[in-house]
Amino acid sequence: MKAHTATNLPAWEAKGLLRHTPPESVPLTFRLSSLGARFGAQTLDILITYGGVLTLIIALSWLQIFSWTGLVTFYALITFFMRIPYYILSELVWNGRTLGKRILGVRVISLDGRRLTPHQIVARNLMKEVEVFLPVATLFGAAEMTWWLALILLSWMGGTLLVPVFSKLNQRLGDMIAGTVVVDTPKPQLLPDLSTQSAARGYEFRAEHLGIYGRYELQTLEAILRDPPKNPEMRQRISEVAQTIRRRIGYDEEVQASREWDFLLEFYRQQREFLESRTLFGDTRENKFHTIAAKPPGR
Amino acid sequence: MTTAAQSLDHIRSARFRAEREAGWKRLDALVLLAEDKGLHRLGYDEAQELASLYRQAMNALSVARAISMDRALLSYLDALCARAYLVVYAPQESLRGLFSRLITHGIPQAVRRSGPALLIGFVAMLLGIWLGAALYDLDKSWFYTFVPGGLADGRTPEASVDYLRSTLFDGGPGSHDELGSFATFLFSHNTQVAILTFALGIFLTLPSFVLTFYNGLILGAFWKMFAEKGLGYELTGWLSIHGVTEMAAICIACAGGAQLGLAVLLPGQVSRREALRQRGRDAVKLMILAGFMLISAAILEGFFRQTVQSTEARLVIGWGIGLAWVLWLTLSGREAQA
Repeated sequence: MKAHTATNLPAWEAKGLLRHTPPESVPLTFRLSSLGARFGAQTLDILITYGGVLTLIIALSWLQIFSWTGLVTFYALITFFMRIPYYILSELVWNGRTLGKRILGVRVISLDGRRLTPHQIVARNLMKEVEVFLPVATLFGAAEMTWWLALILLSWMGGTLLVPVFSKLNQRLGDMIAGTVVVDTPKPQLLPDLSTQSAARGYEFRAEHLGIYGRYELQTLEAILRDPPKNPEMRQRISEVAQTIRRRIGYDEEVQASREWDFLLEFYRQQREFLESRTLFGDTRENKFHTIAAKPPGR
Repeated sequence: MTTAAQSLDHIRSARFRAEREAGWKRLDALVLLAEDKGLHRLGYDEAQELASLYRQAMNALSVARAISMDRALLSYLDALCARAYLVVYAPQESLRGLFSRLITHGIPQAVRRSGPALLIGFVAMLLGIWLGAALYDLDKSWFYTFVPGGLADGRTPEASVDYLRSTLFDGGPGSHDELGSFATFLFSHNTQVAILTFALGIFLTLPSFVLTFYNGLILGAFWKMFAEKGLGYELTGWLSIHGVTEMAAICIACAGGAQLGLAVLLPGQVSRREALRQRGRDAVKLMILAGFMLISAAILEGFFRQTVQSTEARLVIGWGIGLAWVLWLTLSGREAQA
């Protein structure tokens, strides 16, 4: 089993993540966009472009600048410019984001770790015509079709819609040709360092107390400590965590209910210091099974 | 306790973080600024600061992964670096520079590289025209098989010579409107055909070939029908003024599709995926060229076909513009021979 991915994340946490290596050779982690977000962004873009065209046409017909056929000509021209050129230009100008993508916080990145090239943007959006617009357009004309033609179209639509579902990186055909992938825009948010929070000292954990757990348990404890208890129910859960840890590590002193939070904070600080210094000595403890993993049976 | 004593008291990774946090915050602010206003709005100092802070943050991320188990710090740095990376490695070309390089070098060079694919495109069209005309000669009912009713618009083998002539040469003000809407229909119809022809090429070139061939069939049957009524010369003029550009655009879109299809069929020494990526570059440029040509064809069709009434002028304009395309594509963007 490969327990570790290159993003420094264990395999069980790496689902839906993309390791991306920029020219600096430090792998970055991007989260692949959900299919729902992508579908939403596409729908928003269609609404924005066609909504804009319709308002413009209505405004023009209200102003009565063009004759009726002039309006039809104008509509044909403008929808041509609104379809593929809109996506290409907006992704070029905003570095892989259309308006819909901006609103939903997703963006296109190049898989090779370099910057998005204009060629990639054009290629992925040209394929959009076959994958998105054509099926939608034929859907509106479906009433006059013979059943076998409808069947072919339906399977084609289903096929292209299913490609991103089954593709490993949620790529659609255009993404595959262009070598791009759609990810969530990263949102950096710096939470305070728990190890610097002042807690009542006075707990001494010895090496045998700290040798039980590994990185995974430490970071789970961190997640718990990020959320201070607000009601009796949560306090009850914190107390359970504290007592479980105390029993598991064999800490012989009783911990009173009023001091359980401080106990956890202090345990977190000392456990982290211990594990980090073990790592520096080349002894990486991934989780509480580190003693078993170190000596695999039959070797 | 003083601050210094407190920070000494902190564990190693917490000190690591405390020392660098200010720089990260500054990077965050710069990235936000660049995302908000665009990278080119940053001053010289700010741009330099951004680049250096980005490298420092990447370095810190690399170190933090080795020494820190603070999950909040790791995910923050990861996201910050990713965001800064997207700003630092944004496309740097200006739209205008991109466009002019495409016109002067990209497209003509791509066209000259795709000889076989272009041959497929034009052969498909010419075969279609020839077969369409030949089949119409055998049996007029083929016309109804090839030409969709909406496109024919009353111009069928049964129509009178006078009616057909009136569709070619603008008569009263009423017919202008009809032809105008027909022009827009044809324009959007042919755009769809061109895009489809291109995109379907990935399925082994065949759909592109068939679509172009079918377009040729329509054209052939149409031409033969007018020629039979003694209007062949006039129709050629009517079609030439925009059709030279428009039909060439469809052939070129077909050639773009053929590039994709050929990459899948005959990848040569590289893998199919790699061949698709390499040929895709030229294919996309051919498609952009087809787009330009379609737009020019629409302008010709909308503004000149109805105002220019003499067949000779129509022929001269149409084929003259065709010659201009050929000259541009063969002569532009040649590198000086070393």
